[in-house]
Amino acid sequence: MNKTVNINLAGIFFHIDEDAYLKLQRYLEAIKRSFTDSQGRAEIIADIEARIAELFSERLINERQVIGNKEVDEVISIMGQPEDYLVDDEIFEDEPQSSSSQKEKSNKKLFRDTDNSYIGGVSAGLAHYFGIDAIWIRLIWILLVVGGFGTGILLYILLWILVPEAKTTAEKLMMTGEPVNISNIEKKIKDGFDSVSETVSGVAKNVSDSVSGAAKKVDIKKQGNKIKSSSRTFFDTLADVIMFFFKIIAKFIGLILILIGASTLIALIVGLFSLGAIDIIPGTDLVGIVNAGETPVWFASLLAFLAVGIPFFFLFYLGLRILITNLKSIGKVAKLSLLGLWLFSLIGIAIVSIREASEHAYNEHYIEKMPLETRAKDTLIVSFAENDYFKNPFYRHDAFKVASNPEGKKTIFSKDLRIQVKSTTDSVASIKIEKSADGRNYEKALDRAKNIEYSYAFNNKDLVLDAYYSTAISNKYCEQEVLITLYLPVESVVYFEKNTESFLNYRTHSNNIVTSNQVNHYLTIGSDNVICKTCETEKEEESFEVNVDMPQVKINDKGIEIKTGDKQILKIDENGINGEVETVRVKIDSTGINITSDEKNENQ
Amino acid sequence: MKIENTKAQMRKGVLEFCILSVLKDDDAYVAEILDTLKDAKLLVVEGTIYPLLTRLKNAGLLNYRWEESTSGPPRKYYGLTETGKLFLNELNTTWSELQNAVNIVTNQKTNKNE
Repeated sequence: MNKTVNINLAGIFFHIDEDAYLKLQRYLEAIKRSFTDSQGRAEIIADIEARIAELFSERLINERQVIGNKEVDEVISIMGQPEDYLVDDEIFEDEPQSSSSQKEKSNKKLFRDTDNSYIGGVSAGLAHYFGIDAIWIRLIWILLVVGGFGTGILLYILLWILVPEAKTTAEKLMMTGEPVNISNIEKKIKDGFDSVSETVSGVAKNVSDSVSGAAKKVDIKKQGNKIKSSSRTFFDTLADVIMFFFKIIAKFIGLILILIGASTLIALIVGLFSLGAIDIIPGTDLVGIVNAGETPVWFASLLAFLAVGIPFFFLFYLGLRILITNLKSIGKVAKLSLLGLWLFSLIGIAIVSIREASEHAYNEHYIEKMPLETRAKDTLIVSFAENDYFKNPFYRHDAFKVASNPEGKKTIFSKDLRIQVKSTTDSVASIKIEKSADGRNYEKALDRAKNIEYSYAFNNKDLVLDAYYSTAISNKYCEQEVLITLYLPVESVVYFEKNTESFLNYRTHSNNIVTSNQVNHYLTIGSDNVICKTCETEKEEESFEVNVDMPQVKINDKGIEIKTGDKQILKIDENGINGEVETVRVKIDSTGINITSDEKNENQ
Repeated sequence: MKIENTKAQMRKGVLEFCILSVLKDDDAYVAEILDTLKDAKLLVVEGTIYPLLTRLKNAGLLNYRWEESTSGPPRKYYGLTETGKLFLNELNTTWSELQNAVNIVTNQKTNKNE
């Protein structure tokens, strides 16, 4: 079933199918565009229409018959394609190449493409002009507006005003750089018949204007329409502008969402692969050592990836949806399964973290106490020994390091040890080594603590402590710590070497009597403190302050001055020493010593 | 140089002459002219003739009168004007000369080839 249209072709009435009508209209339009007014377009078209009407009448058997696609096709094949109408003078020219090469050059012109516009079609026009996608031009605009302090806006408005809008099909073709010829025009019309229908009717009107004498009437109508439409366009434009800004903001947010989503996803993927690779690449098993819960690393990182990645994926997707309106939906199934996966990964992470946390539930201590052959009056020199296998760069506050032990086995080394000194009433000194570690339960924690390897050497009066402890890699790093306590009898002397400084506390507390600023001094152990013989003088010097101010004697920070009566006898100050009695004067200063006597002079 | 263009040049050059020749004795309307030309295989599609006719008419070589038709719209009957007749005579002479010249040239070529 087809809708029909009534047409008047050269004064004859026809019923014609709608689609056939459209085809015929396009055909006539294309022909119309191949002629200029100077060639007598109106007349030619009238002739052609008359001929088509004649051909149609020949094909109609009775008056009730309708013109269909078949008839139109037949007529078109008889009449020829629009190209065949070209009588142009071009073809009679001597050098057809020159004309064709001119066509190929097809100088592009800058127009505003209002069909694909956001604001004024400037970007779309520029995109046509430079032959790139409009999105890049728009991005440049955004950059210019954001980074160029509004110069972009000014430039845009300027271009909006200055660059003409591509209204006619010919202008649209010029804009895209296609040669303006019949086939292109026809193509263009076929492409967007609706968009040019206005232009077509305009042209048709022009034709009819020149043919009929009713030009005036039409003109008045047109003027009225123009006025109406211009006022309408103002509000339309206003609405468009407002809508546009909303759109821009939305698109901008979309862009930001995409950027955030994409960068996070990329970072996560990179992270996932590099973490996952730790299991595969030997030697980089740091994570495995910390991971006391023994969760596979790849599993934990996958869970983290899913838990963080899925929300960001949705963010990314949302951004895309905002930016690209006709984006295909990823589908309900995909969405739901992603949601499920996300929940699963969250639960997984919770379980893993609980496991991990439970590894630290118990903290157990393992204590060894050994006597040291140091008695009252004896001197003990304490120092730390570094290990060749486990050297710098390594700071005390680094938690741990993995290195090979002398047997070539991978071992965890740590400097997490402290030393403290306590006074004891026992006659013999002793050393207490307290190892502690975390574990899921008492046994595990104690086992870990026991497995801390720590040693020291005592030789006559030298106590050499290891500056680190070590433990097998299978024990994992689980807050292992070593606390060394020296119990020293009263009256014994202890000397801490410089390298012990960082292991000592910086102040005394809970019976610890040696602080880190007391290294390099011989300290005598008191009952609850230490007596530092070498430190004392410095301290007293600092606190000593004399200020004597009497008429005869003055002692202050400037020097010493002694007078008898009015006469100055001795003065010591920054200039030197100046002594004076009745017959002898002594002067010592930067020039030397000068002694003058009333009887004889002596210079030295 | 495209063969199509050359062919079109040749054909279109002669076409105007032929249209005038068709109208030499009797007035005719477009369909009649077309039939003659189509029979002679000088024309493939009809579209070409309309701009030509308009051009000849605008140049003052042709004029037309309207005649009612029983089966369709009113028909334009084209006829030669006085200038048209003179123009046609001149074209006739030129054509015979041309024909002669072309014959001589092409025959020479074929003779040589033999």
